[in-house]
Amino acid sequence: MDALHHLLAGFAAALSVKYLLFALVGCVLGTLIGVLPGLGPAAGTAILIPLTFSLDATGAIIMLSAIYYGAMYGGTITSVLINVPGEAASVVTCIDGHQMARQGRAGSALGIAAIGSFVGGTLATVALVVVAMPLASLALKFGPAEFFALMVAGLCLVVGLAGNNMMAALLMTVIGLLLALVGVDPVRGAPRFTFGVEELYDGIGFIPVVMGLFGVAELLLAAEKRQIHMVEAELKSWMPTAAECKQSVGAIGRGTVVGFVLGLIPGVGAIVPTFMAYVLEKRVSKTPERFGKGAIEGVASAETANNAYANAAMVPLLALGIPSSPTIAVLMGAFIINGITPGPFLFQEQPALVWTVIASFFVGNVLLLILNLPLVGLWAKLLKIPFSYMCAGVLIFCVIGAYGLKQSLFDVWVMLGFGILGYLLRKLDFPIAPAILALILGPMMEKSLRTTLEISGGSFAIFLDRPVALTLLAVPVIVVGFLLFKPRSLAPLRESDVE
Amino acid sequence: MRQGRLIATGAMLAFCLFALWQSLLLSLTDRLGPGPGFFPFWLALIGVVLALALLFTTFREPAAPAADDEVRILPYGAGGMRWLAIVLLMAAAAAAMEVVGFRLAMLVFNAALVIALGERRWWVIALFAVGGSFGVYYVFTHWLDVLLPDGRIWS
Repeated sequence: MDALHHLLAGFAAALSVKYLLFALVGCVLGTLIGVLPGLGPAAGTAILIPLTFSLDATGAIIMLSAIYYGAMYGGTITSVLINVPGEAASVVTCIDGHQMARQGRAGSALGIAAIGSFVGGTLATVALVVVAMPLASLALKFGPAEFFALMVAGLCLVVGLAGNNMMAALLMTVIGLLLALVGVDPVRGAPRFTFGVEELYDGIGFIPVVMGLFGVAELLLAAEKRQIHMVEAELKSWMPTAAECKQSVGAIGRGTVVGFVLGLIPGVGAIVPTFMAYVLEKRVSKTPERFGKGAIEGVASAETANNAYANAAMVPLLALGIPSSPTIAVLMGAFIINGITPGPFLFQEQPALVWTVIASFFVGNVLLLILNLPLVGLWAKLLKIPFSYMCAGVLIFCVIGAYGLKQSLFDVWVMLGFGILGYLLRKLDFPIAPAILALILGPMMEKSLRTTLEISGGSFAIFLDRPVALTLLAVPVIVVGFLLFKPRSLAPLRESDVE
Repeated sequence: MRQGRLIATGAMLAFCLFALWQSLLLSLTDRLGPGPGFFPFWLALIGVVLALALLFTTFREPAAPAADDEVRILPYGAGGMRWLAIVLLMAAAAAAMEVVGFRLAMLVFNAALVIALGERRWWVIALFAVGGSFGVYYVFTHWLDVLLPDGRIWS
């Protein structure tokens, strides 16, 4: 009842002209980012942070969230029209979506993707409303030991999904944590690893690092490859037929459940629910042979799971303060920039903000549906933007974002350095996602661990006396242990498939 | 690929060893409990162990065929030139921005970058360069309240 009351108040705020405008701008920019091949939601959200510098905290987070789920939908358009996923989660959509486009059914594919995204996103947000507050209330009983254990578990789940690359993922996590420790010690206030460089006293900026590792690195990778040429697909109609809608109902329902459940687990990237929803749909289908040849259920299940995941992934962030993917980590960074720490206290300390943001998810889903169905043709035209202008435009935003936060040119150099590093790490198949999550969780992890040890007088036995912390610490041991000694028959999931 | 991974892992090992040494210069514990060096020390130690284990496993991997384009780590050919243009122009813009400010640095950066990436129509280049520097500066400083560098020569 309390949640409903807060949600209604949130709707009142989210439907104000100001916040509606921010959500609309976010949806448009997000879709644009999703449409442009090579720029994923993490890079897109990071490079567009400067646009929110002058907004209040609620407005900034509404706009960035809208950019996030707008990008998740935008990737569909390129998947269907040119068989190039705008972002990783749309890879599965290519399978049947592009086949449909080749059969002259591109409009139906994009239409069902928009409808599925809307239904999945909306139902997942309803579930978010139901789940988030009880979870946050439960987390309020957590002490520093439990929070430390929770963060370790979250990071290890991300590492666990690196498959064959698990050792490299663990190493990247440690590197991310070490980089997070640069600056003033959060407990004693002593400078660490600063080497007399004034700019390092504030630590290595999360935003310049993310912009470098995702934005600049992705452009450097794209610059190396050949340019992508658009193949004009015929858009006869943007609405699927009644028969196609009927065929997709089950797929949309199952996609929502798969996307939401997997979105709750930290570390599960967006591609996992889309892939699982697609496989599930093929298994339950009476005509599985149609999959891969233009089955509309294939598009509906993947796209629904994609957006249900995007909304569900906000649950661990809002209720526990744990980002489940690099894009959510960027959103967490946006919260922190605005002086707000996501987590269980958020519902108590900032109820107006958190419920307005949740209400804006509903509003954003409606806006995306309105924007995407009739404007599919317009989005498709954006694919004709030459790489040279897209590249220069993105770099302008990166420079402004890196500089604008602290008015420091040092951060522009940090961004460029991490851009080159990100390029090399991707080429060498080192997973970047664990390092990003570690970078944002590092200071909080250290603070939680040291506070725990101060309480216990330096004894690690405190973790044995706390059943929740012990259980949470057992999760990574089981996950990592299972993956190290798993049966050979289990196919590994590579990090490149996850983000 | 294998050689590249060995070099990268070696660099990470060096980084962890350096962090280990630096953390030993800080106090690991004090009378209140763990000191500033405690967390970095244990992390760096774990990092060293992981890097050594990764070096060992990578070393045992069979080498990939050298001619395969997919395994080339450093940029090359026409793509490599585009890559180099982006990096050098970004570095030049970052260096120049402190002196000449955002507008002039980005004006030159935009024009040079689109030319390097293949654009040849002078009026499009000029329009994009001006819009992406002076136009963007105006929008961000006047409408979005974002401070951008003005440059030493103007102040």
